[in-house]
Amino acid sequence: MPGANHNAVYNSPIPHMRVSSSRSTRVGCLFALMLMRAPILLASDWLIPEQQLARKIVGATGPGAVALDVMNRSSLSHAEVEEIRRGLSAELGAVGVRLVNADQAAVTVRVTFSENLQNYVWVAEVRQGNNEASVVMVAIPRSSPANVEHSTAALTIHKTLLWMDEDRMLDVAFVTGSPQHMIVLETGSVELFKLQDGRWQHEGSLPVMHSHTRPRDLRGRLILRKDRLFDAYLPGVFCRSSTTAPLALTCYESDDPWPLGTEQSGLSAFFSPSRNFFTGVLSPGIEKQTTVKAFYTAAMLPRDKYKLWIFATVDGQVHLLDGISDQTPAKLNWGSDIASVRSGCGLGWQVLVTGNGESAAETVRAFEIADREPVAVSQPAEFNGSVTALWSDSDGTGAIAVSQNSETGRYEAYRLSIACGL
Amino acid sequence: MRLTGFPLLAACSLLCAFSASAARRPHYGGTLHVEMRAAPTSLDPADSDRPDWFGFRNLSSLIFETLVSLDEQGKPVPALATSWQAEPGNQRWQFLVRHGISFQDGTPVTADVVAASLRRTNPTWKVFSEGEAVVVERDSAAGNLPAELALWRNSIAKRDNGKIAGTGPFAVSQWDPGKKLLLTARDDYWNGRTFLDTIEIEMNRNFREQMISFDLGKAQLIEVAADQIHRARAEGRHVESSAPVELITLVFGHDPQSPDDGRQRQALALSIDRELLNTVVVQGGGEPAGGLLPNWMTGYSFLFPASINLELARQVRSEIPHTTSWTLGYDPADFTARAIAERIVLNARDAGLRMQTTSTNSADVRIVRIPLISLDPQIALAEVAAGLGLAQPKVTSTSIDDLYAVENRLLQSQRVIPLLHLRAAYAVSNTVKNWTTARDGNWRLPDVWLGAEKP
Repeated sequence: MPGANHNAVYNSPIPHMRVSSSRSTRVGCLFALMLMRAPILLASDWLIPEQQLARKIVGATGPGAVALDVMNRSSLSHAEVEEIRRGLSAELGAVGVRLVNADQAAVTVRVTFSENLQNYVWVAEVRQGNNEASVVMVAIPRSSPANVEHSTAALTIHKTLLWMDEDRMLDVAFVTGSPQHMIVLETGSVELFKLQDGRWQHEGSLPVMHSHTRPRDLRGRLILRKDRLFDAYLPGVFCRSSTTAPLALTCYESDDPWPLGTEQSGLSAFFSPSRNFFTGVLSPGIEKQTTVKAFYTAAMLPRDKYKLWIFATVDGQVHLLDGISDQTPAKLNWGSDIASVRSGCGLGWQVLVTGNGESAAETVRAFEIADREPVAVSQPAEFNGSVTALWSDSDGTGAIAVSQNSETGRYEAYRLSIACGL
Repeated sequence: MRLTGFPLLAACSLLCAFSASAARRPHYGGTLHVEMRAAPTSLDPADSDRPDWFGFRNLSSLIFETLVSLDEQGKPVPALATSWQAEPGNQRWQFLVRHGISFQDGTPVTADVVAASLRRTNPTWKVFSEGEAVVVERDSAAGNLPAELALWRNSIAKRDNGKIAGTGPFAVSQWDPGKKLLLTARDDYWNGRTFLDTIEIEMNRNFREQMISFDLGKAQLIEVAADQIHRARAEGRHVESSAPVELITLVFGHDPQSPDDGRQRQALALSIDRELLNTVVVQGGGEPAGGLLPNWMTGYSFLFPASINLELARQVRSEIPHTTSWTLGYDPADFTARAIAERIVLNARDAGLRMQTTSTNSADVRIVRIPLISLDPQIALAEVAAGLGLAQPKVTSTSIDDLYAVENRLLQSQRVIPLLHLRAAYAVSNTVKNWTTARDGNWRLPDVWLGAEKP
């Protein structure tokens, strides 16, 4: 239904507007959701609308014998409809309505479960004799179904949901310790969370101050540091957290190169301040190679005597650089985002690669490069929407993937790790 | 990312005083070639003498923006306003204007300019600036004002000596009224520079001309008539369509003049085979309509009967001693409307009613097309009523029951007989990436990018 601000009050915040207190309720018990993977609307959620509709129906029929007929025109499942029908029948009984067969009833009630953009709409048409039907209805806000995750294979990619947010997340850093902490880089702020009683509690928000016009497909990266908590890189902007408490964030316009891979990789690259890619200029370079074609992402695979760097370039190619040669494997049909992971399985390191958009689902798949030809070593892990960020995590044992759920529009941050075997 | 035993954040928790749907990333650059039927001679969103074509609305959104926009669920979300508040009673609203935004001519957006823009479009409103906020005062409660401000006619524009500028992602580089428009991406656009460099729009192109250009590769984005969606897809074109967003309805020039007049209208409504209109005349390009708003928007529209009931139509007809012969008018340039009119005349005859088609303006009942211009059902209903010349609905609350009651009253007036809700459709080239058609038929061109065409 329309009508945001039904109860609008001067100086009260607009419900959807971002306020710090809303954050804790936004995701609420995320861990519980991760474990349960059950529909967000639980059985008890239907109780109030069942009561409301029952009261409205009895207001039109009065107590007595009624025949109830149910029809589903919504996205509710058959099981849910049955559950609601049972609940509604019970509530009707509680307000004095006795359900009987149609041939024994003077009143028939047809309940239709429908929906619109924002709500389930339950409509009851009440017919008494030949009179025109009277109509009563209730609207119940719709929630999004929980995400279902499934992946299988030779090596297995494990997805762990870290966080969901309405705002675009650019990167997430996970700080172990007691308690555990999580840092989320968003488009306009860095959000800090603490794990308490199995829930992420919002601790604070550090605005990313800048005067720079942001490019579309905004990207950003968090790097955990030893002498301070973290650095945040955004196009044309560099932010550094304070070294002493209280934690603060200092941002300034900068074209400093962004670290590639993990901090130990020792390679950085310059990011275009007004676009969504790295310019191709490397710092300090891979041996003598200091430039590569403009690229979106890079991944490093350590070898005995050198490091093999893989670049997903803007022209859709993949380039392999080892300090001497720049090779382009035959058409790989990889997506734009790659990240290396040290799993200890197989060859020890794998590259996680997004799909090229040709399959129905958005995916991330693990590859190994034994010689110079990448070989898929896992089944694709599927996402509910496009992957907007994929970065190796600090110690290289996993990667952070952010996807935008195509149904809810919300961003979901996952930690991806690789397990040996199926 | 993982770091073990890092002490600072733990300390901070005690001390801090904060009390692209494609897997390939988007490419920047390139020109998108678009063709459309609309031939606007003005780009000013406040001009009231132009039809509210989808094409014009989509065009306008590239140049202008509103204070508030509606998300896919029809909920108001910030656009040029970052927040808003209403006083109790919902008559006085305050909208805080976003900082750091400029018009395409480089001048900053201020509350004064925003207020002037809204006054121009809504002369009966009291609109003024108050610091960095814009205040809107209405004569009566306006609980849906944010959604109303999301209508494109309420786009914010700076008008200066006959020149007009907006805050949108594109600036006008070349404008040949009614013929051609060239738009260039703004590097300083507040919400992120678009991937496309330029958009070239050819106007006043009928569906056939557009299809030829598309097939020749001269246009990458064209409109497709609802009745051509099926065929265009069958011929291998990539066609994207919206939810049904355009109402085709019969409209009588006046209220029923007598009980028999009302019964004759009832008989006509019962005699129309909307299912056939949808499957045959518009080739499945829409849905039969019993109500003014489609079911996806309200959830209750199935309550308004859309099925033919010839038996009942004849029975109602038999109760009328003397029927009137009606003329059924349609726009002679609208071939779909003409086909619908001819089919309705046949349906009416089956029920024993006399009708004949006419393309003149003096008809008893006319076929009217009217786009649903808001995802907010309350606003959409008000706009439909205004567009059809019906009494303005007075919705006293935002409850679904009230909306149903108001729409039901409009239908009970027997001034309108809804026929179909049609989809808006577009053929999109393979080179156009990340294309999404919004439920309401609006384009999302700022997120589109161009790739190499697949062989």
